[in-house]
Amino acid sequence: MTVIEVQHLTKRYKDTLALDDVSVSFEKDTIYGLLGRNGAGKTTLMSILTAQNFGTSGSARVFGEDPYENARVLSRICFVRESQRYPEDALPTHAFRMASLFFPNWDQAFAEELIADFELPLKTRIKKLSRGQLSAVGVIIGLASRAEITFFDEPYLGLDAVARQLFYDRLLADYAEHPRTIILSSHLIDEVANLIERVVVIDGGRILLDDETDAVRSRAATIVGDQAAVDLFVTGREVIHRENLGRVASVTVLGDLTADDRAALQASDLDVAPVSLQQLVVRLTQHAARGAAKGDPR
Amino acid sequence: MIDEGRPLFVQIAESVEDSIVDGSLGDDDRAPSTNELAAFYRINPATAAKGVNMLVDKGILVKRRGIGMFVAPGARAALLAERREVFGARFVQPLLDEARALGLSPEDLVTLVRERADVPAPAPSPASAPATTPMEGLER
Amino acid sequence: MSRTLNVVRMQLANRETFVWVPLLILGSAFAISMIIWGILSSAGVTVNMYGGGAQAPLWYFVAVGVQALTLTFPFSQALSVTRREFFVGTMLTAALTSAILAAIFVVGGLIELATGGWGIGGYFFALDWLWTSGPLMAGLFFFMLTMTVFSLGFWAATIYKRWGALRLTAILVAISLVLLGAVWVITATRSWGSVMEVIVGSGVSGLTGVLTVLTVLLAGGAALALRRATV
Repeated sequence: MTVIEVQHLTKRYKDTLALDDVSVSFEKDTIYGLLGRNGAGKTTLMSILTAQNFGTSGSARVFGEDPYENARVLSRICFVRESQRYPEDALPTHAFRMASLFFPNWDQAFAEELIADFELPLKTRIKKLSRGQLSAVGVIIGLASRAEITFFDEPYLGLDAVARQLFYDRLLADYAEHPRTIILSSHLIDEVANLIERVVVIDGGRILLDDETDAVRSRAATIVGDQAAVDLFVTGREVIHRENLGRVASVTVLGDLTADDRAALQASDLDVAPVSLQQLVVRLTQHAARGAAKGDPR
Repeated sequence: MIDEGRPLFVQIAESVEDSIVDGSLGDDDRAPSTNELAAFYRINPATAAKGVNMLVDKGILVKRRGIGMFVAPGARAALLAERREVFGARFVQPLLDEARALGLSPEDLVTLVRERADVPAPAPSPASAPATTPMEGLER
Repeated sequence: MSRTLNVVRMQLANRETFVWVPLLILGSAFAISMIIWGILSSAGVTVNMYGGGAQAPLWYFVAVGVQALTLTFPFSQALSVTRREFFVGTMLTAALTSAILAAIFVVGGLIELATGGWGIGGYFFALDWLWTSGPLMAGLFFFMLTMTVFSLGFWAATIYKRWGALRLTAILVAISLVLLGAVWVITATRSWGSVMEVIVGSGVSGLTGVLTVLTVLLAGGAALALRRATV
């Protein structure tokens, strides 16, 4: 069941296109990874979906309705920003109390567990918290809100590796008990690769990829071996990355490898290395950028 | 534990199968739930579910309505049989290929295997029983 | 409606902003005035002493108005509160605080009048010309004044957020020019006499009326600008 439907959404700022004819949909009870470089359009998209920003043209429908000034829809959404602002002089407890007023599914007991997990100092003013603690406040609000659609916009900036793992673990555990739609934007792709069911890659305001994580992972492979043999194998295939070290070439190609392909590779004494999700997204993005630079209409 | 090569859900299924094969999960035992697998491997529950469903389709796991997921009777036997079939292609062939690359003959291989397994070589005798194992077949 | 009331609760979640600090400021201003008058009185001063300290919390309220928008609004957006709910709830909270301060003002003034200026002729609340139309009008005036300064801060911050510092400055300059223009016209036509008559004649109630109009304009302007404000 589709909960978010975006059709031909464009957002123009003077002469830049933050979003360029974006069409994508999000389903109920799924964890999405919204991946892309800084400035690619992730935050813009999420802001428009939560009526915090407005599109220039096109439509965005949440639960079938326009989210603008729509309390019925908005009360079912939570958007935790990367650098969220909090009321002056507020303590974390104030922030959580305020959140409990507006999220119908707010779970105070869960929030308190998370506060303990993240070791958040409740008596320190939010404006005096460290970057990591500030992120923890946002993460706790996002998780404890149990909103039917929860957006996390790079919420873990400032969290160290241990705290990030804690976030992922708590997210997964709570998602298993209380399934909902979660859209997680990140550029730490490999860290979240196992959490996300579907990958949406956005670059330069356009959707580059929108597919199941497993399908994406099997979509590319790196062929390594003698340069001549490698080049022979990859003729006719879409190459998205190439590296040479002496006579050894390492070429990343798009496309599934059939059994015949694998046999051919083995016969030519070529190795196949898997491509991690992060590598794939990075290569695809670079590939698209090169295409754009060459003036390819894409 | 999780590598990049094969789809995640396949790896999850295989690790459950490994538990069945090594005996830690017996026939009719309760299998780990989707959520337990997801939490343990730190993956999305849907992916874990895909792996579990794959095993259900294969007949290794069986769903008992209202109670949960259980190891099907005869699962271990079925898995052993399956793995024995691919054993040759999956383990023996790479062994042979590597040996060839190093200049080791199949006879050298057998000696190595015997040494490691600590089994004495049988006395060479043309009238001895016909080969019943691939090893002895190789010897010829 | 309940969500709008929840906005009030949200604004009051941290009691300091809308309750304790204004009271603290008012209390300190009062205490300081009393100390000064105590000193003067014991030094032999017998005339009535009037202090303007009661306006101290008003300056703070401009800041509250500004921060209601710059800090609380973005957070309310994260909590998925609509702009309308935020606006109405915030104005209600301001009204609530204004009412409390006005009540204190009236009660304080009544006590002052009854005790002859705390026994020493010191008047902090019951300022002569404010009370000419009675305690209720004085309270209403104070209420409206507080609302006006809050709305001013809120309005200025909204314009700034929506259109930037440049346009806010331009608007303020334009308003100043209009006022200066009015002053110039009045001076040129030597009408200060009649203008003063009108102002003094309308008294506290007239001034309160002007403040009401001002509040409505500022709040209304803020509401319109807020409709398309982005976080």
